[in-house]
Amino acid sequence: MPLALLKYGLNPGFRDAPQLRWQPEFKSNYDVIIIGAGGHGLATAFYLASRHGVSNIAVLDKAWLGGGNTARNTTIIRANYLTPEGVAFYKESVELFRGLSEEVDINIMYSERGHFTLAHTDAAMRTARWRAEVNKHLGVDSEVIDADEVGRLCPTLNMSEEVRYPVLGALYHPPGALARHDAVAWGYAKGAMARGVEVHPGTEVTGILKEGNRAIGVETDRGPIYAGKIVQAVAGSSSRVSALAGFRLPIKTIPLQACVSEPVKPVLDQIVVSGSLHVYISQSARGEMVMGGSTDPYGLYGSRSTLDFKEGLMAHMLELFPFMAELRVLRQWGGIADMTPDFSPVMGLTPVENYYIDSGWGTWGFKATPVCGFRMAECVATGRQPDLLKPFALDRFHNFDLVGEKGAASVGH
Amino acid sequence: MKIMHCPLNGPRNIDEFVWMGDVKSAPEPTCSDREWTSYLFIEDNLAGEVDEWWLHAPSNYWFIARRNRITDKILWTRSPADYFSERKS
Amino acid sequence: MTADNARLPADGWGLLLDRTRPVTFSFDGASQHGFAGDVVASALMASGRHVLSRSFKYHRPRGVLTMAGHDSNAMVQIGAEPNVRGDRRKIAPGLAVISINRMGRLDFDWLAVLGLFSRFLPVGFYYKTFFRPHGAWRLFERPIRALAGLGSLDPKAHHGYYDKQHLFCDVLVVGGGSAGLNAGIAAAETGAEVLLIDEWPTPGGSLLFGRSHSGRAEAEMKRLSLLSRASRLPNLRIMSDTTVSGLFVDNWASALNNNRLYKIRAKQTVLATGGYDQPIVFTKNDLPGIMFADAAQRLMRLYGVRPGSRAVIATANRFGYDAALDLLDAGIEVAAIVDLRKSPDGSDGAAAKARGIRILPNTTVVAAKGRRHVEAVAVASILDRDRRGPSEWINCDLVLMSAGYTPAINLACHTGAKVVYDPAIAMHRAADLPAGVHVAGSVAGFWSEALAADHGGRVGRSAALAAIGRDTAPPAAAEDTTARDITHPWPITESPGGKDFIDFDEDLSTRDIVNSVHDGYDDIQLVKRYSTAGFGPSQGRHANLNTIRMVARATGRDIEKVGSTTFRPPLVPEKFGHLAGRGYEPTRLTAMHDRHLVLGARMMPAGLWMRPAYYGPKEKSAEAIVAEVRAVRTNVGIIDVSTLGGLDIRGPDAAAFVDRFYTFNFLKQPVGRTRYALLTDETGVIIDDGVACRLHDQHFYVTATTSAVDQVYRLMGFWNQHWRLDVDVANVTAAYAGINIAGPRARAVVEKLRTDIDFAASAFPYLAVRSGHLAGIPVRVLRVGFVGEAGFEIHCPSSFGGRLWDLLIEAGQSFGIKPFGVEAQRVLRLEKGHIIVGQDTDGLTNPAEAGMTWALSKTKPAYLGKRSVDMQIAKGVGRVLAGFTLPDRNAPCPKENHLVIEGGDIMGRVTSAVLSPTLNKVIGLAYLPVSRGAAGSRFQIRTDGGRTVDAEVIPMPFYDPDNKRQEM
Repeated sequence: MPLALLKYGLNPGFRDAPQLRWQPEFKSNYDVIIIGAGGHGLATAFYLASRHGVSNIAVLDKAWLGGGNTARNTTIIRANYLTPEGVAFYKESVELFRGLSEEVDINIMYSERGHFTLAHTDAAMRTARWRAEVNKHLGVDSEVIDADEVGRLCPTLNMSEEVRYPVLGALYHPPGALARHDAVAWGYAKGAMARGVEVHPGTEVTGILKEGNRAIGVETDRGPIYAGKIVQAVAGSSSRVSALAGFRLPIKTIPLQACVSEPVKPVLDQIVVSGSLHVYISQSARGEMVMGGSTDPYGLYGSRSTLDFKEGLMAHMLELFPFMAELRVLRQWGGIADMTPDFSPVMGLTPVENYYIDSGWGTWGFKATPVCGFRMAECVATGRQPDLLKPFALDRFHNFDLVGEKGAASVGH
Repeated sequence: MKIMHCPLNGPRNIDEFVWMGDVKSAPEPTCSDREWTSYLFIEDNLAGEVDEWWLHAPSNYWFIARRNRITDKILWTRSPADYFSERKS
Repeated sequence: MTADNARLPADGWGLLLDRTRPVTFSFDGASQHGFAGDVVASALMASGRHVLSRSFKYHRPRGVLTMAGHDSNAMVQIGAEPNVRGDRRKIAPGLAVISINRMGRLDFDWLAVLGLFSRFLPVGFYYKTFFRPHGAWRLFERPIRALAGLGSLDPKAHHGYYDKQHLFCDVLVVGGGSAGLNAGIAAAETGAEVLLIDEWPTPGGSLLFGRSHSGRAEAEMKRLSLLSRASRLPNLRIMSDTTVSGLFVDNWASALNNNRLYKIRAKQTVLATGGYDQPIVFTKNDLPGIMFADAAQRLMRLYGVRPGSRAVIATANRFGYDAALDLLDAGIEVAAIVDLRKSPDGSDGAAAKARGIRILPNTTVVAAKGRRHVEAVAVASILDRDRRGPSEWINCDLVLMSAGYTPAINLACHTGAKVVYDPAIAMHRAADLPAGVHVAGSVAGFWSEALAADHGGRVGRSAALAAIGRDTAPPAAAEDTTARDITHPWPITESPGGKDFIDFDEDLSTRDIVNSVHDGYDDIQLVKRYSTAGFGPSQGRHANLNTIRMVARATGRDIEKVGSTTFRPPLVPEKFGHLAGRGYEPTRLTAMHDRHLVLGARMMPAGLWMRPAYYGPKEKSAEAIVAEVRAVRTNVGIIDVSTLGGLDIRGPDAAAFVDRFYTFNFLKQPVGRTRYALLTDETGVIIDDGVACRLHDQHFYVTATTSAVDQVYRLMGFWNQHWRLDVDVANVTAAYAGINIAGPRARAVVEKLRTDIDFAASAFPYLAVRSGHLAGIPVRVLRVGFVGEAGFEIHCPSSFGGRLWDLLIEAGQSFGIKPFGVEAQRVLRLEKGHIIVGQDTDGLTNPAEAGMTWALSKTKPAYLGKRSVDMQIAKGVGRVLAGFTLPDRNAPCPKENHLVIEGGDIMGRVTSAVLSPTLNKVIGLAYLPVSRGAAGSRFQIRTDGGRTVDAEVIPMPFYDPDNKRQEM
């Protein structure tokens, strides 16, 4: 409560304990090394420490804490996926998100806004129904609504039939939410550090040390570190790191761009996505419109920004919200997405003993931060693939057991 | 807008082109099932110079480009005939 | 400062004004006056108004800072346009300007009370609270959102007109100051086509407001001389009032002017973009009346406005002295010049001293006083970086800051240049510029007037030579040592009480940065995100450098080690309208489109095409569809199938290609016959289907679905790069119109047309294809079974489509021929149990699951996807598509994608379902486990509202199981 703020004003010299604590040096060995200090890596460390009593952990990152895709996503959280495996998984994430501020003692500004996946074609309406039925079956709140209802719930949306692709209806997911992405990383970091986990930014892993087929440590640009278990959670760099461990992944690394507008007074409460028009938009607590679209047209290990992206995005955005023509783009950026053939992640055990992987997060990773950390921690602590993660095993492709979520990933394709 | 030098059409805006991924050879028909599914689904996804298939959509011309996947620099583009005959020799 | 004496006389002042044209506009409803050429801020200042806005967080009064549109202090709302930079937007008659971000009046903002609570709101305070008890953020978010945001959007506002234009040049010069003009002129004189873009109404850069050795007149003379030289070069085009907002790979630039976005392709780019003033940090350094020296000079020189009556100038370079002389010339008293440099070069101050100005070296401003306007400042000597001598208060109503710049390297960074700090000059510079991008003038470290001009010329010439193909190494210019005398390395005096602003947009003080580091956010990236420094509308232009300095001090690191965040596009905010332009959305129409409209068709999108869904009004759609189905079953119907994909495959290896590509057998397909063509990708997933017609030994004509044909065509091209068969593939979808005429009377109708094709059943059996003419129109005719009646699918060149349609309609009149649409066709095909790829198959369906193993060749060694299909069949398919009905005739028809539920688990799903008008019962297709797919198997479907209905698997086809009707 804001009463907590009183102490800052009443006592001029008051200073909080630091939220993030750093150790300049690292030890020669740990129980667990996590490669990647993004939301997923930090969440894994947090749950290992808080649920499994494992806190002798070093989380390494070649850049700054949370500076990868965690800092670059468009902060949408939802569970309205297509497959039962996916829905169950993201549902657990939403549940963990709901209590996360209190668990990590940082306000992640979790804001339920309602999520609308607009349908502009019959095929899209059919897919909406498929998702709604699977969601409802698993206890996730979703329903198919018609055009009139969309217009009522999203009063600023352009429902005209005179446009090229009129809105026919939508998949409506009331629990759809936004959160402050950086704060999620900071919260998990804070909670992990308070329990003795070390985070070492500016430390690049240059090799995986093995004894036979067993991982025993990592080589870094600051020297080697040994550990009983190693986890990689490096998003777009997944293939580069797994190659160090000696195996390949079903991943293509493709940039995903996003942008924000200047801040304006609240005018959009909902989270709106259009698969046909390949755009999505929400308004943050600061008043900025946060927007994104499809992945870039070709693979690249880079987050450069293009004019083409903005042009394509706005041509379609203004079909949905013509009045935004006067609003200005303030800043654009990109992230590096690890895209899988079935738009589902690759998690858990790997061909290398004591080496675990969290990857294949494409354009759908931020919303999974808590469940990923929670279940990867379980996997690492027990050495076994948890049931919830079994469908996402690396080996599934060799059995043609793809978990097809392409119909439910917002506009990743 | 990035420029791609099409071997047939010369320098064109990159939005006229379609990226079709790594140049790969299918394994022999006698390969194991696992080798086959690796070919289908598992990627090198190299962070370096890669030979890729590209299509110039307006003219339906297929060709190969060597591109650095980190810097996005296109080192060269070749017709498939030139590329494969060079590879053989 | 009253309205009367705020204007300067016309002689030498107000360069951009046309004083013969007074303009009346309004501000917050009150009438205001200015001249043509005034901007909102200059007109308001001229009338005595200095408070232009309220700050984001604490609602502190703010006034002019840059007078160049680079800050957010002059932000206003004009009509439906939010966040207008009032220091660059020209006034116009009747313009209604509103101040933003205040509750009450601009001069009395109730929300300023928030400033009283600032000590309870430390940096990141919203992360530390507002979330307990559970759900608290929900309550707090609403008022916080209402307080956030600056201007407003009107959801009813109309989308104005915006468009785009392409421009091409050899050399693009960004910035029309001395360096830029010299670069442009040199490049043009070297023979290149040059485009020079400048954001001001007339070029000149600092020559527009600054002094050259002897004064303003000399600066203006130099400016006019450059413009004169430029005007004599036909290959040098200057665009004014235009801002380059981004620079992208291969010298692709975006620029904005009015409602137009320019997309520019250059061979070489020269960035002569100058630098951004940097503020001095002291207590209450945000009061109106405290501005950059450049801003004061712009107000006077460009807009003829006196910014104050008694000034103190704080400077660390010669520009502060220049400004002092201008103030004196404008009749403004200069109480003192404080020079932050320990031992400033005496020559800078000679002229000022000669005119009696008090100069205090090694001194800085440590605090300001005032409520809505600065009233006095405290100055003190600099003992060391952190300690100050005793203060002396000096009364003033104007404070000019000239403590340094940060070079405007943003556009270079858009293309990947790195930001590097040079401690010798206490400024950043761009490094690792890509080939083809150059910096010239002060942005490149050349600050002396002569060297900047010279550098511009050299770089321009070298860029031009590179552009026209005569590459030379870029010129090695001597370093400009005067660059060391531009920016002070520590223009910061920390205030114990806060209100010493580092970031004006975000109301952040020095202690916010220090506390961020203390809270553990000690990387520059984390500091910025945690404190939001640099995240406001001016994107850190005036905050970045001081933030980096504070972080360096707080962490004990060198500034170089602290690093910097990079700069990303856009350099200036770009309207959505600019980026969208006119918004072209292609639509493809068939040759018979207008016929459908005349017949009352309800059109629906099918990919990029428009097709009739049914004929009749929306309210009567169900009846219309039923009538259309009945017409086809009992009489004759006609449908436009022009959108269907068509691929011509010709060459010696045509049959081999089709055979290798599709799953069925085609090598021995007889000429004149059609075969079902199923396509799987390499992973064995069904991606399309169609009909392959063998027209000739070496000519196949293969159809594809409307939505997939482009992908199929692309795949054909891709795979033949590997197979290298002797074949040509052409996508002739748009070249042919298609009409399907179906029903027991179909043949009778067709035979009424003059033709050289024998349509009799014996001569033209089911599944055959014939070429010939109908009424003189060249046609290919297929007998296919999609809707399950005798029928002919007629393909003709598109230009004949309308005529053929008319002829068949006419011929069918006496039979009561009825046009039918996509919806009726979907019912008809379902009655025959035919799948629609993409509806009855999903992204993972293989042929075995879809009941299509009959379409897989058992004999041929290869087809696309064969290995994967075989592997999955061998592994054992988990589900199968089965036809079903509902035993209870009164049960509601399920919808597509309703789930099959058993024992509380999802067992399958419905893919198609309809109440069949022909069979008078519900029929559908559903995925079920293989063990449950046999006829007679019972299962349950969960429909709307959770209601379950019983269903039963029945054999297919549902209608005419012996397929007699289509073979008639």
